[in-house]
Amino acid sequence: MISRGTLLRIVLTTAAVIAAAVPAFAGPSDDDCLACHGDSGLKTDQGRPLYVDSAALGASIHGEAGIGCVDCHADLKAFEDFPHAPKLKPVDCASCHEEASAAVRESIHGRPHDGDKPIIVQCKDCHGAHDIRPAKNMLSHTAAMNIPDTCLACHLERVQTKRGQGFAALYKESDHYRALALAGLSLSATCVSCHGGHSVHPVDDPQSRVSRLNIIRTCGTCHAGIEKDYLEGVHGKDYAKDILDVPVCTDCHSEHDIRSPENLGSGVYATKVAAVCSRCHDDERLARQYGLQTSRLKTFSASYHGTASKFGEVKVANCSSCHGHHGIRPSSDPLSSIHPANLATTCGACHPGAGENFSKGKIHVVSEKTENRWAYTVKIIYIVVIAGLISVFLAFIAADLYRRMRTRWRH
Amino acid sequence: METLTTSPLIRDDEIFLRMNLAERIQHILLIVSFTLLVLTGLPLMFYELRLFKSVFSFENAFAFRGLLHRGAAVLLIVDIVWHTGHTVLTRRGRDNFRELMPRAKDARDAVSLFGYNVGLARWLYRKGILRGFFDRHPFWRFENPPEYGRYNFIEKLEYLSVAWGSLVMILSGFFMWNVELSLRIFPLWVHDIFVIAHGYEAMLAFLAIIIWHMYNVHLNPEVFPMSKVWLNGKITGHELKTLHPLEYRKILAERQQAQKAREDRSGAAR
Repeated sequence: MISRGTLLRIVLTTAAVIAAAVPAFAGPSDDDCLACHGDSGLKTDQGRPLYVDSAALGASIHGEAGIGCVDCHADLKAFEDFPHAPKLKPVDCASCHEEASAAVRESIHGRPHDGDKPIIVQCKDCHGAHDIRPAKNMLSHTAAMNIPDTCLACHLERVQTKRGQGFAALYKESDHYRALALAGLSLSATCVSCHGGHSVHPVDDPQSRVSRLNIIRTCGTCHAGIEKDYLEGVHGKDYAKDILDVPVCTDCHSEHDIRSPENLGSGVYATKVAAVCSRCHDDERLARQYGLQTSRLKTFSASYHGTASKFGEVKVANCSSCHGHHGIRPSSDPLSSIHPANLATTCGACHPGAGENFSKGKIHVVSEKTENRWAYTVKIIYIVVIAGLISVFLAFIAADLYRRMRTRWRH
Repeated sequence: METLTTSPLIRDDEIFLRMNLAERIQHILLIVSFTLLVLTGLPLMFYELRLFKSVFSFENAFAFRGLLHRGAAVLLIVDIVWHTGHTVLTRRGRDNFRELMPRAKDARDAVSLFGYNVGLARWLYRKGILRGFFDRHPFWRFENPPEYGRYNFIEKLEYLSVAWGSLVMILSGFFMWNVELSLRIFPLWVHDIFVIAHGYEAMLAFLAIIIWHMYNVHLNPEVFPMSKVWLNGKITGHELKTLHPLEYRKILAERQQAQKAREDRSGAAR
């Protein structure tokens, strides 16, 4: 007995063999087409080139699979007389690639842009036309190495984004691009790694792989260990509760121009970390809503760590030196680097031999009344003494000058 | 006040030594170390000023700043050790130190100088207001400026401020320099006091020098553009008479006595 599956396979294979071996039945053969289109000088009256590179076509995934010209240019099947009508119907990739086409139709590329002139992206804009190769092939327009240039062909100038022209090109400043282009690491993130290939959606669309809802998972595809740390930390725990005010990857690391923290241009370079964290931790609204302590930046800046950092010193502690970064935990958590029991170790990373005295006092509050009474008292005494003494000095100087002026008048 | 008439025993152009070479070098070392300390320390208090940021923009600027600050601190400490030795071990140093000790007269002098300069009480007295009070307490009329000895209350205040300030700065600075040592001995909140004290004491010292000392030795019309004592150490008989009348009288009395003794001796010999 022949099963239904096997029968189907036999029928389809036979059909394919007939279709391949007897193309004349289904219209002109590739050789017929190339008789004219193989001429590199062939152009329309308007000067549009009509040349088809037969070598590239043969090497393409369609050429290798034996797909003929008329399989895509389907309306040519009906033609007998050549040259054919000057205008052909556009190629419909969906006739074979149904799923991918549907995804593109749903994506931003399939719909007119908001408020802009409608721009509809066609398959060939990314994949090429006759020379389509699989993404694994280094020569493919969609090979990892070539993706940035393929996307930037439009996104560099033609397409405006809300973040301004050239925003996409910032990717070329990133370490992702450096890994790709300089280190030749094809696993590095390209445009499609984060935005998806066919189903690209704008960032404010919840479906988007780069929306706040999905960005953690998207980055975690490669940075799995960091995703785990993040989800265990205070930010990640709230993120898991759908509190979207917490920072996600891109809030600290920026988006396209992500660089290593050791790079001076990185938003999380040692001297810039304080500014990044205080965007939220000094924000009055967030502080009220989530009960955060504010003035974190002010108190850090006033400390030696903060001041040195402002002057570009990278060896001193910044926020993350003590609090950690991806998996930041509150000081009440015994696993937190700033839990009182762990302070000696945390501080000891820079201050060898740091003992328990490091935890007898508070950071960020050097001379606030409620936190360090004695330091506060000393500060107040100094302010009073300075103000008093300077006033007395100025009074004496004024009196001295006054007497000298009077003496001069009299003479 | 009886006006001091020029005595043949102290000529107006006679030169007296107010600061000897050692003291002048000590003062110059103090200027150098203090200036360096202020320049390299102040940016930590005023980290928002763009000026400081542009000055410290070259590579390793901040580490270099720290190195200079601690170097200047060592210089200051050496200077203070030298000065202390000078004060304890030399006759001149001990005499000067005794003269620098504050007395009740210094407070009276300060009040009386201010009152004299303002001249309000004098004016009231002349108008016959509160005459009874002023007759009973002539001090409060401030008719004349106070008379000073070798050091007036301004100079004493400055000297003692430097002594106190150096003590605070060296102690707190030492523990800030050696954080690990400091925190082996003190809890963090005590160390925080060092940090606070170091910063505010620095502000106090800086303002005092810029306002008070600079006025008294530079901008004051009497010495403008600058008193040269710190360079040549010299003061004339005339300056001694006007600025330090009590010391002038003391020297005069000593010389009169010596002259008298000489005359007595020569009289006896005759």
